[in-house]
Amino acid sequence: MIELTRVSKRFGDETAVNDISLRVPKGEFCALVGTSGCGKSTTLRMINRLIEHSEGDITLDGQSIGAYDPVRLRRRIGYVIQHTGLFPHWNVVRNIGLVPRLLKWSTADVQARVEELMDLLGLPVVEFSHKYPHQLSGGQAQRVGVARALAADPDILLMDEPFGALDPITREKLQEELAKLQARLHKTVVFVTHDMDEALKLADHLVVMREGRIIQQGSPLALLQHPSDPFVESMLGGLERGLKQAALTRVKDHMTSMGPTLPAQSRIPVNFSLRQALSMMLRDHTDRLTVVDQHDVPIGDLSLRRVIKEAQLDKGSIRE
Amino acid sequence: MSLLDAMPTPRIRWKGRHPNVVLVSLSLIMLVAFWAFDVVSMAPNRIVSGTGYGALEAFGWPGTLLATLLLVTIGVVAWQPSHRHYRALIVAVVLLMVLMPVGLIASSYLLIDPELPQARLGLGAAYWVVLFVLLLCLIEIRLRLNLTRFWPTLLLCGVALVWWLCAALWLDSLALVQEYNARNQLFLTAIGQHLRLVGIAVSSSVVLGLLLAMLMRRYARLQKGAFAVLNFLQTIPSLALFGLLLAPLAWLASNVPFLAQLGVSGIGTTPALIALIAYSLLPMVRNTYTALEEVSPDTLEAAKGMGMRAGQRFWQVRLPLALPVLLEGVRITTVQAIGLTAVAALIGAGGLGTFIFQGLGQAAMDMVLLGALPILALALVVDASLGALAEALRPGGAQ
Repeated sequence: MIELTRVSKRFGDETAVNDISLRVPKGEFCALVGTSGCGKSTTLRMINRLIEHSEGDITLDGQSIGAYDPVRLRRRIGYVIQHTGLFPHWNVVRNIGLVPRLLKWSTADVQARVEELMDLLGLPVVEFSHKYPHQLSGGQAQRVGVARALAADPDILLMDEPFGALDPITREKLQEELAKLQARLHKTVVFVTHDMDEALKLADHLVVMREGRIIQQGSPLALLQHPSDPFVESMLGGLERGLKQAALTRVKDHMTSMGPTLPAQSRIPVNFSLRQALSMMLRDHTDRLTVVDQHDVPIGDLSLRRVIKEAQLDKGSIRE
Repeated sequence: MSLLDAMPTPRIRWKGRHPNVVLVSLSLIMLVAFWAFDVVSMAPNRIVSGTGYGALEAFGWPGTLLATLLLVTIGVVAWQPSHRHYRALIVAVVLLMVLMPVGLIASSYLLIDPELPQARLGLGAAYWVVLFVLLLCLIEIRLRLNLTRFWPTLLLCGVALVWWLCAALWLDSLALVQEYNARNQLFLTAIGQHLRLVGIAVSSSVVLGLLLAMLMRRYARLQKGAFAVLNFLQTIPSLALFGLLLAPLAWLASNVPFLAQLGVSGIGTTPALIALIAYSLLPMVRNTYTALEEVSPDTLEAAKGMGMRAGQRFWQVRLPLALPVLLEGVRITTVQAIGLTAVAALIGAGGLGTFIFQGLGQAAMDMVLLGALPILALALVVDASLGALAEALRPGGAQ
């Protein structure tokens, strides 16, 4: 667990981070979102003491980080940065094995761990072991970056805009893989990004920052439903907010069992999002879809009218 | 059909075969030099200055015709060159280089009277011009064929071997060989001294340079002052620096017996080394400092974030990444020191410069060459090998 209590950071007269408090329970994925210069990266780098905080208290599992030797602290925390920061003079294997070697693991253990991680991140060992960073594509390099961060199996992972420099298709693919990885590994993750869609897709807990302060934090759905001010609302996409919310909702949650009516022409798999369902309705000029399971067998109905009514009920119940 | 398919495919330039103006003009220069200048000179003994001879007299008709034909061929082939033609051109160039000592052997038979054992053959202007231009041709062809430096270097080594064999076996009458034979023991000693001076100067400036560069990185204020001093040292003419060191070192040697025992004196090795190191420090420190500073901050930040200690970051990340630029500094320093050491002969430090200054004193140009050519060769060899080493140490083998 990571806990920041009333933490501030000043560089000379300038206050980069102003009195923030944040709690990331074990196994939670927390995203810090904001425009550039809002202090999100500074916040992240204070956790592994690349930057020392000026005021307040930062604790890991209840122990203040000031009590740790910074070097030992960093070896316990995985760290991924935007431009990968891979060592250009080392091949993939040597790059990934860095922290275990620093921790004096045996050669055999390091090798086994590196191969395990390459497997986990979809980097075939035979093909990639002896490649150098400049021979990798952006996506492959960042996979190596993530593998390097996970190498010593740290509980905590800090990621500083890890996918910021990638093309949209690669970025989306890596986001999906990271989500799957997190579902398996349950690391405590602090993830910095300026891309709200990325944050919405990955985070359990969303923190919106501006000018060194936390403006609002909560679950992605809570923020979408009740943005606290116009800035958060615009960060969340303004008019697009409804669709972003729909993207976080599964078809499964709004489906009704098969009615007596004929099945609709258009079919949608049950694990798709409501946003994809709405898109399909617009495309096919219909207000009703047949929900199918993974074997394409119809299992339910999705009707636009019902979706809207449920949304109204949700809103009403919260008002009360 | 996409827009790209509809566009006319661009003509491949290769087929257009424009004349290679560089090679054609180089071949013309060689032809003119070959016919207009003296090819060799002949002197009955060391004291008399020689008489020059043109190609016809030196090589006879067959030799002159062969050389002219080869030179013309280079120009003609280069008029419409293809990939294969460039390869043929390499063969022609190398053939000419190999034929050069053979031509000398021929002229030694044609020109030298067996009754005059003192007679000596000198290389004429045409020889030097053609040799120089042939090297230029090789560089041009290398660039056109996109070859690495390796093959041309190997070819040149082969050519040098042929020259050396010819000189050792059949060219006793060549003035350069005579100068060498007259003092081959001295020559070896001189090369030894030269290498020793360069070796000590460069290795101490590498160590001092690294230390200074690291101090500069730690104390920013030192940086300006140190660079100012080193820049100033570089502007003092080498001869003046030797002169300036003469008086204080002589004084030290006569007043501090301990230093005199160590070999410190106004002339000789000590002042030479001090001056050489002073000159070597600037390129060394500048390159080392830049090399260490230019390592990507992202990489260093990552190293820190991964939990590497300061020492580990320096030895495992910063230094290896700086190494190619650092070696570039060693290369420049060494090449410069090889040249400067020649001047050190003036204050009695020995080395190949001895022959240059003695030769100048005796107006014996061939003796000057005996000192100058090995210096040139040393510089080229060091330049090529350290360059190749820096190339090989690029991060990840390439970039």
